[in-house]
Amino acid sequence: MNTTNGARGTAGDSRAESAGSSMPAVSSVIQCSGVNFFFGQGELRKQILFEVEFAIEPGEIVLLTGPSGSGKTTLLTLIAGLRSMQEGQMHVLGYRLHNPGPRDLLEVRRRIGFIFQAHNLLPYLTALQNVQVMFELQPNVSAEEGRQRAARMLEQVGLGDRLHYQVARLSGGQRQRVAIARALVGGPQLVLADEPTAALDGASGREVVNLLQALAREQGRPILMVTHDTRVLDIADRILELQDGRLASHSTGALSKPAAV
Amino acid sequence: MSQRIGLSWLQLRHEKMKLFAAVSGVMVSVVLMWMQLGLMKALFASAVVLHGSLAGEVVVIHSQYEHLLHSKVFSSRLLYRLKGSPDVVSVSGIYLAPIEWKNPWNGEMRSMQCYGIETESPGLSIPGLADQLASLRQRDVFLYDRLARPRFGNVVGELERGADIKPELNRRRMKLAGLVDLGASFGIDGNLLVSHANFLRLFSERDPGHIDLGVVRLKPGVSVEAAQRQFQQQLGEQVLVLTRDQFADIELKYWKSATPIGVIFSAGTFVGFFIGFIVVYQILYTDVTNHLPQYATMKAMGFSNAYLRGLILAQSLQLGLLGFVPGTLIAAMLYAALRNVTQLPLTLDPARGIFLAAVTVVMCALSGLFAIRRLSSADPAEVF
Ligand SMILES: Nc1ncnc2c1ncn2[C@@H]1O[C@H](COP(=O)(O)OP(=O)(O)OP(=O)(O)O)[C@@H](O)[C@H]1O
Ligand SMILES: [Mg+2]
Repeated sequence: MNTTNGARGTAGDSRAESAGSSMPAVSSVIQCSGVNFFFGQGELRKQILFEVEFAIEPGEIVLLTGPSGSGKTTLLTLIAGLRSMQEGQMHVLGYRLHNPGPRDLLEVRRRIGFIFQAHNLLPYLTALQNVQVMFELQPNVSAEEGRQRAARMLEQVGLGDRLHYQVARLSGGQRQRVAIARALVGGPQLVLADEPTAALDGASGREVVNLLQALAREQGRPILMVTHDTRVLDIADRILELQDGRLASHSTGALSKPAAV
Repeated sequence: MSQRIGLSWLQLRHEKMKLFAAVSGVMVSVVLMWMQLGLMKALFASAVVLHGSLAGEVVVIHSQYEHLLHSKVFSSRLLYRLKGSPDVVSVSGIYLAPIEWKNPWNGEMRSMQCYGIETESPGLSIPGLADQLASLRQRDVFLYDRLARPRFGNVVGELERGADIKPELNRRRMKLAGLVDLGASFGIDGNLLVSHANFLRLFSERDPGHIDLGVVRLKPGVSVEAAQRQFQQQLGEQVLVLTRDQFADIELKYWKSATPIGVIFSAGTFVGFFIGFIVVYQILYTDVTNHLPQYATMKAMGFSNAYLRGLILAQSLQLGLLGFVPGTLIAAMLYAALRNVTQLPLTLDPARGIFLAAVTVVMCALSGLFAIRRLSSADPAEVF
């Protein structure tokens, strides 16, 4: 059911699920339709997202672009379960994020690897500890195994010789690579990144994006990345473009691409 | 959720100054609580030093006895009746009364507590007393309390210099024959011991046949409670037959109700608690505030509120532990110093140590719980 038809079918699915679990029979990684979002109250209430509808399929690398203020970050926070949905349907990794169950948002977040514009590493930890910290969320992984997997992950992002460096002693590009290692080490089912190259110069930005793409491809992880950086558009399977809170028509057209592939 | 990489501690020790400030706060609080509770305990303990020195398991007093400064005499014949009991090794009668001490160096009059004891069977077991009983039998001599307040003159110093000390007691010239350790307490600045015969010379108006305290030593193995019940029956309602602890309790109860000491030191202890609470709370609260973006990031990555609360609570407890140990060491040093100056029986009581450790944990946990409320301001939607 990797088609847009599947996405339309979710309205019926949600109602059926609402009695029990919020796990729908949807195989798309992200599937949303009719998403409207507003900031503010009363007079100041302002619509930011209008009838947003798209799906992302397993293994896809999708870029989200658009002018500043068009609602990209807002959409990302909705997908990540960081903001409550207001109108429309949203399924992420099989969880229903409109009317979610009590732990659904937390469970979704745990299955997502986040890469932020600023690295958002914990400054009191070393590179290794920053990656290891993700295994605090996976009690079944022993401390030793967590350490080893974190170290391997850092080697993969080229920081095998910087394991015990404090964050403050790493360069911007190195920090962002630690952030990538942290995002990927727990085996996320989806990677969300918001302008991960914005704080980096061109060369290290490219390097970071290449790394992210390579690792995601290798592990078959889907990526949704917000970026302004036109130099990295080539890594995408698909590009979605937001304009004033609406998905531009050509990106909506691209929705059928994976089904055609 | 467990913290397998010790996140809380790694975060705490990251900022050394803040860690130092927080630990110092806990330390000050712990020292204060030790001091307040210790002084209260020592003050009350000082009131029952004599009670603890009684050489017998059972004590007989008049039924209207109130406390050491407000005693009432009863007929010694009642006490000596117990001599016939097969359970009894010995009985001793003790007179007590306040006495006028005239400072031999400046002539100032001061009141002391004077005990008249039987030199054959003194009813007191005070270190060094047994060796001095022979000299106490002489006419017009007394033993002086080494731990008396200094207002009576430099008695001990002069004695050590070899001076003959002959003050007027109740306007009668008496000679100091030696020293014993008893100690000052509420309303009693120092103690004197004299023989029965000398006591009656000092207090000529006293009836020799009436005593203040009767001390009964029981044979080993005799049940104190059973003997007490039996003696009470035998002696009637004019007197009270008590165990030594019950006798001490009368004194403690009186001073607890008659003085605000309990309230004052309890308040002091609470102040210590409050200082620790505020310091730890302030530091944890500003710490959470300063690190809101980090907490928001962790929330976004899927860390539950419970995990983050646990993180802060763990930090508060680590601060508590780090402050408690040095705080207790400092209290121990202050106790030693104060013991030398005040002669108060200040000791680091292990039971009180456990109590204070628990109080410190509660104090830090409360601070942590209050600081945790700040976490709700960490909005994971703001991290991108
Ligand atoms: N917390 C908020 N409260 C009110 N309005 C907000 C809030 N966050 C964002 N907005 C508004 O919503 C709109 C979309 O913001 P958003 O951050 O999603 O844009 P963006 O596409 O990510 O922009 P940029 O490329 O600059 O990051 C903007 O007009 C912004 O002012
Ligand atoms: Mg943005």
